[in-house]
Amino acid sequence: MRRIYLMAQVDKNLCIGDKICENICVSKAIKVIDKKAGVDENKCVLCMKCFDACPKAAISIVSRAEPLVLAVNTAEVDQNKLKEICARAHLDPEEKICACTSTTAKEAAAAILKGAKSPEEVTLMTGLRSACSLWCIAPILRLLKAYDIELPPSDGYRWYNISPALWNVSEDVARKYPEYRIGEDKKLLQEGVFHNFIKL
Amino acid sequence: MDGAMLNAAVTPPKLMPSVLGPDLPKQRAADLPVIVSLPIKDLFADISQEIYLDGGDLSVVRQATEKALVNVDMCMIKPQDTVNLLCSEHGFSILGGEPYAQMVKTINDVVQKRTGCQKIRLIFCVGAGLTEARTMIPYYGLDSYFERIVSTWPFDKGVAIETDIGTLYGLKRVYDADWIIHACYTDPREVYFHRQINRIMKSFAMSYARYETRSVYHLNFASRSSNIVPRAIFESQFVQDRFAFACCIETSPAGITGISADNDLRRLDRRITKTTLKDYGKLMRLFAEIDECVAVLDGMRWASYIHGGGVTFGWLCKANIDYFNLDISGRAEGYPQANPAVKALVVNYIWRDQFMEYIQSYPTIVAGRDIAKGVSKAVSKNGIIAEDLESAMETAFHIAKTDKAIVFDGSYGSINLTPSMGEFLMEHAPGVSQKVDNDLLPLWLKQRGIDPKKD
Repeated sequence: MRRIYLMAQVDKNLCIGDKICENICVSKAIKVIDKKAGVDENKCVLCMKCFDACPKAAISIVSRAEPLVLAVNTAEVDQNKLKEICARAHLDPEEKICACTSTTAKEAAAAILKGAKSPEEVTLMTGLRSACSLWCIAPILRLLKAYDIELPPSDGYRWYNISPALWNVSEDVARKYPEYRIGEDKKLLQEGVFHNFIKL
Repeated sequence: MDGAMLNAAVTPPKLMPSVLGPDLPKQRAADLPVIVSLPIKDLFADISQEIYLDGGDLSVVRQATEKALVNVDMCMIKPQDTVNLLCSEHGFSILGGEPYAQMVKTINDVVQKRTGCQKIRLIFCVGAGLTEARTMIPYYGLDSYFERIVSTWPFDKGVAIETDIGTLYGLKRVYDADWIIHACYTDPREVYFHRQINRIMKSFAMSYARYETRSVYHLNFASRSSNIVPRAIFESQFVQDRFAFACCIETSPAGITGISADNDLRRLDRRITKTTLKDYGKLMRLFAEIDECVAVLDGMRWASYIHGGGVTFGWLCKANIDYFNLDISGRAEGYPQANPAVKALVVNYIWRDQFMEYIQSYPTIVAGRDIAKGVSKAVSKNGIIAEDLESAMETAFHIAKTDKAIVFDGSYGSINLTPSMGEFLMEHAPGVSQKVDNDLLPLWLKQRGIDPKKD
């Protein structure tokens, strides 16, 4: 569960309508209309990307009247399906897939079972990508793919669909680069050694 | 051990004022009477010695860069070409950042002089936010030195790179030139991620990459196998068509030890791997000997990246596992994920919000309300807020039940610490040195196919 106490706010006098904020917003909370950006407070997850990217410093961070709570009740979905999606995505359901928010794979999978069809919708239901946003996109894409959700082509900013992974590396490539111990790591993954946040 | 002694605390590199951190602290840990220093060369005499330490003459770095570039082939760069000189924010975390800035400026000058090319853009790559770039560029005088500077971060527009392991995404702004120059550094920092396997290539999957590529590196591979990601990007036709050369600032825990440059990044990587294993291995294993300690965070940047005696706090948090040993899989079964020898943290200065997982692993004492207001809610909410630094230290000693403390304040050459920690390290250093020389270093080199006599 993610509780968010602050949100982005646009100073319309400084905004030049360049759409940088709209393009990178992880939850599609920003829309530029008539050359001025506006923030949908029900969707701003405080990732701060707009704040950092705005060349005119038109974004400030303000308090919310009430915190925005992002949470999925994993008990409300079919547990077998949840486990199946996670397994197809090479994830343990209990695995934390975000170091910032501590969101688990099963929460993201439950969001998808409850209807999330894009990374933005997973973000709005779970709070994933609401902090640094640097690490957690790959498992989100894996889970969406595992549920056979076809993503639209990338718009060039918000995310690119990307699939290289340990389990996809061919035998030829593994042989070409023996120093990375691809085969050994694949075997350990199958044995469950790397469950629960593969690199931490 | 013979000849080793504790000195007065060394003055750490000054802190850069930044909106990313709290207001600068009134007092540094090195100012406390309880803090002394232990010279690195007194611990391990065979660590590569420095040519530059904080406060030294920066012209030494310029001269070393010029010398390193003498044998680099630049004939591919024509006067009418465009060149992207790529630098990464982490280079500026080394000894206050001035040495890396000096190297970058010198590369620009040498390339202009040798090739006649004037269209050199400095590409300033940051990870967590463009605020970093806006703060650092003027601080290091890069805006007045370079005619063209472009800041970029992992959320900028991407460019597809076809590789042996599939399509990965770099940053368009990094690659939109005829040639790229890789301005890098050897500081090993997060050994627990890169395992000192092609460490010098890591920027191609990090600083120069879209965030999806970073995520693939961290979460779609384990620590050993993940290093195929930067290698695959670097060896792609897309990058090879643009790569001119690399120039690298070299460090040991003693300080800046030199500058290396080469057109052949793999050759440079092999040289650097060998020196890094030798120069950092002993201190890494010595930190593994620590049974109990307080860590004091008092430096510029996020917690895990702050240096103390030339190694990072993140490294201390992982010191319980020998990550240089490639027979250890990466998630070492049975080991706690955060080094249990760290019993408490004192936060005197860190940048806010990012990489808080280490801090949340340990009892944390914040050195005053002003600092607490400026750091993450996670720290100020879960930690104890002391009156000032001195009382924070006392509280930490009480909680940790030890007065052994190491300060992470950006210093190289010496470790600022408490006398009891100094004595502990001096006592254990000879045994560690012998073990690394006889057993571990030969193993680490062999695992990477490096023959110390030939390479």
